[in-house]
Amino acid sequence: MSGRRIRLLIWKEFLQLRRDPLLLRLLFIMPIAQLILFGYVVAADVTNLPTAVVDLDRTATSRALSAHFDASDYFDVVARPAESELQPLMDTGRIGIAIVIPEGTQAALDRGETAPVGVVVDGSDSQVASVGSGYASQIVARFNAERMAGQGVQLAAPGIDARVRVMFNPTLAAVNTMIPGLVAAIVMLSIMAVMGQAVVKERERGTLEQMFVTPIRPTEYLIGKVTPYVLVANVQLLLVALVGVFWFGVPFAGRISVVVAGLALFMLTSIGLGLLISLVSNTRQQAQQLMMLFMLPSFVLSGFIFPIDSMPAAIVPLTWFVPLTWAIQILRGAFIKGSGFEALGTQFLVLTAFAVVLFGAAVAATHRRLAE
Amino acid sequence: MSAATRIGALIVKEFRHLGRDRRTLAVVLALPVLQMILFAYAISFDVTNVSTVVIDQDRTPASAAYLRSYASSDFFRVVGTADGLADVDRIFDRNEARIAVVVPAGFGRSLAAGEQATVAVYLDGSEPTAARVGRGFAVALNQAYGQSVAVEWADAQGLDVTAAGQLEPRVRTWYNPERRSSDFLIPGLMVVIIMVVAVQQTAVSLVREREQGTDEQLAISPLRGWEMMIGKLAPWTLLAFAELAAITAVGVWFFHLPLRGSLGVLALGAALFVFCSLGLGLVISAVAPTLESANMLGLLLSILPAFILSGFAFPLGSIPVALQAFSWLFPARFMVAISRGVFLKGAGVAELWPELLTLAGYAVVVIAVAVVLSARRRR
Repeated sequence: MSGRRIRLLIWKEFLQLRRDPLLLRLLFIMPIAQLILFGYVVAADVTNLPTAVVDLDRTATSRALSAHFDASDYFDVVARPAESELQPLMDTGRIGIAIVIPEGTQAALDRGETAPVGVVVDGSDSQVASVGSGYASQIVARFNAERMAGQGVQLAAPGIDARVRVMFNPTLAAVNTMIPGLVAAIVMLSIMAVMGQAVVKERERGTLEQMFVTPIRPTEYLIGKVTPYVLVANVQLLLVALVGVFWFGVPFAGRISVVVAGLALFMLTSIGLGLLISLVSNTRQQAQQLMMLFMLPSFVLSGFIFPIDSMPAAIVPLTWFVPLTWAIQILRGAFIKGSGFEALGTQFLVLTAFAVVLFGAAVAATHRRLAE
Repeated sequence: MSAATRIGALIVKEFRHLGRDRRTLAVVLALPVLQMILFAYAISFDVTNVSTVVIDQDRTPASAAYLRSYASSDFFRVVGTADGLADVDRIFDRNEARIAVVVPAGFGRSLAAGEQATVAVYLDGSEPTAARVGRGFAVALNQAYGQSVAVEWADAQGLDVTAAGQLEPRVRTWYNPERRSSDFLIPGLMVVIIMVVAVQQTAVSLVREREQGTDEQLAISPLRGWEMMIGKLAPWTLLAFAELAAITAVGVWFFHLPLRGSLGVLALGAALFVFCSLGLGLVISAVAPTLESANMLGLLLSILPAFILSGFAFPLGSIPVALQAFSWLFPARFMVAISRGVFLKGAGVAELWPELLTLAGYAVVVIAVAVVLSARRRR
C-alpha cells in the first residue's frame, strides 16, 4: 500500500472532475434544489383549500357555519355557487372541497334533531380529500361545541377529558422529518450516481487497461477512486444539514456520534452498491439505468417520502431489504428523538450487515476484475 | 437523396442502437411496470392501523371497556401493553409503537361519580402525517366515547339529553368515492414515467455521439439540423407512446382505473407532452459537456420537477407563491391535470383547452430552442 500512489489517483480524479465544470456546479446545486423542493413542497401542509359554500338554508346558523370555514386557515372560501354550478367548478379544478348546507338546517337544529351537512371533496387529489374531509369534520365538531355552550346546555354528566400530546415534534412540522431523510437520500444519490459510473467509464474509454499496467494495486485503486466522491458527498450533506438547521429551523436533539456512525455505515453500503453496479455494467448507460432501478424502490419503500405506516402489511417486509430504510430511521431517531446507540441497536446491526456484505462483495469483485 | 430518406436512415440507425443494447431496452421497458406496481401498491395517503400501546393503571371494568374502543377502531392497532410512563419513552425510541394511551388510576371511580375522567394520549411526532391524523382520531374517539358515557349516565338518571341539536358532516368523495390511491396516482404516474424515459434518454443521445466522436460523422453527412432532430426524436416518441399505452392498459384492466373521458384528448395531450419532454432532453443534450452532467441535469430539470412540482403525489395548492410560479416552467404539471381530468373527471377539450394550449406552446418553444442550441454547438 503506497500513500503516494493513492494520492496521485485522488489528484487525477479531482482533475477529471474539474474538467467538467457543469457537473461540479450541479453537484452542489442539486442538494439545495432538493432541499427547497422537499422542504417547501413535499413537507407543505394542506392549507387554504379553495372551497365553495352552497348555502341552501340562508339563515343565521348557516351563515355562522360558513363563517367558521372562512375563518379557518385550512379553507379559503372562493365561491358561493348555486348547487347546479358545483359540478363544473370541481371539474375544472377551481375548487377542491364544497360545503353544502341543506334547506331547513336551522329549523332541524332548533327541534333538537341531528342535521346533516354535506362535505363534497375532490377524490382525484387524495391528500386533499383525506386531509380536507378531516378538517371539515373538525370544524363542524367545533361549531357544535360552541353552539351547545352558547345555549347554556351544561350537563353535569361524566365525560372523558383526553389530553392529547405530541412528543418530539410538537408543531408536527413535516420538514423536521424531511431533512434527516434528505441527508441520507443525498448520500445515496450522489455516491451511487458517481460510483456507478466510475469503473465502467474507465472501461468504456479503455483507460482501465492503462491502470492495470501501472504498479497500482486493487485496494489502492479502490481507495483513490472512492475518496474524492466521499469528500464531495460529505460537503453536500454538511450543506444540507446546515441549511436545514439554520434556515428551516430543524431541531437537532441527538448526539453527533450517532449521526456520524450511521452515515459512515450507510456510505460504505452505497459505495459497495455503486461499485457493484459499475462492475456488472458494460456501458455507462446500462449503469445509469441499473441505478435508477435501485434508486426508485429505495425512495418509495424507505419511508423517506411515503410513511411506512400507511403501506399495506404485505408490502412492509419489502422495506426491510432497503438499506435507506435503516439509515433514515437512525438519522430521524438521532435528529428528532435524540435516540442513542442503545435505542437504535437493531437499526445499526442491520445497517452494519448491509455495509459488510455489500462493501465486501464490491471489494472482492474489484479485485477479481483487476486481477483478470 | 430526399429529406425523408435521410431521416428514415437515421431512425433505422437509432433503432439499431436500441436493439443492440438489449439490457437498456429491457430496463426501459421494465421500469414503468415496476414503478407502476410499486406506486400503486406501496403508496397510500390514508393512514390506518397505527401501532398503539395501552397502559392501564386503573385496571377496572370501566378502563378495560374504554381501551377496548381503541382495539375495535380501524385506525389504532393495539400492539401491546406497558406498565408506566417510563416505558413510553423506550417504546417510542425503539419505534415499537407510535401512539400510547395512558389511563391513570381512579378513571373508573371518576366516571362512576359522574365526574370528568382524565386520560392521556401520547403521539410520536416524528412521523407528522400519522401523528396529525392520529390526533384527530384520538380526539374524535374520546368525544364519541365521552358522549356515550354521558348518555348512558343520563339515561340511568332519567334525564332527557336529546335537547341539543347537532350538525353531522356527511362526506362524499367525488370522482374516486373509495379513495383508492391507485386511481389517484396512476394518471399522474404516466406523466412521471414519460418524463423519466423521454428526457433521460434524449439527454444522453447527442452527448454520446459527441463523446464517441460519431457526431462529426453525422455533421459531414448530408443531414440537416432539423432532420437530425426528427430522426433522434422519432424512436423515442414511439417508445414513449408504447409505454403510455401499456400503462393505460394495465391501469384500466388490472387496477380498474376508470377512463371516463375520451382517449383522443388523452392521446393529444400525451403527444404534446412527449414533444415537450423530448425537447427538454435535447436542450440538456446540447448544453451538457459530458454524459455525467447530462444525467445530472436531466435529473435536476426533469425528474425532480416531474416528481415534486407536478402535483402527481403532492398537492401544490399550499406551496409558496414563488415555487408556484416556478412549477409553471415545467410541462409536467399541465399534463397531470389533463391526465387526471380525462381519467377521473371525464373532462374534454372544453375543460382542458388551457392546459392543452400551454403544452402546445411549450413544445414549439422548447424544440426551437433545442434546434438553435445544438446548431450553435455544431458550429
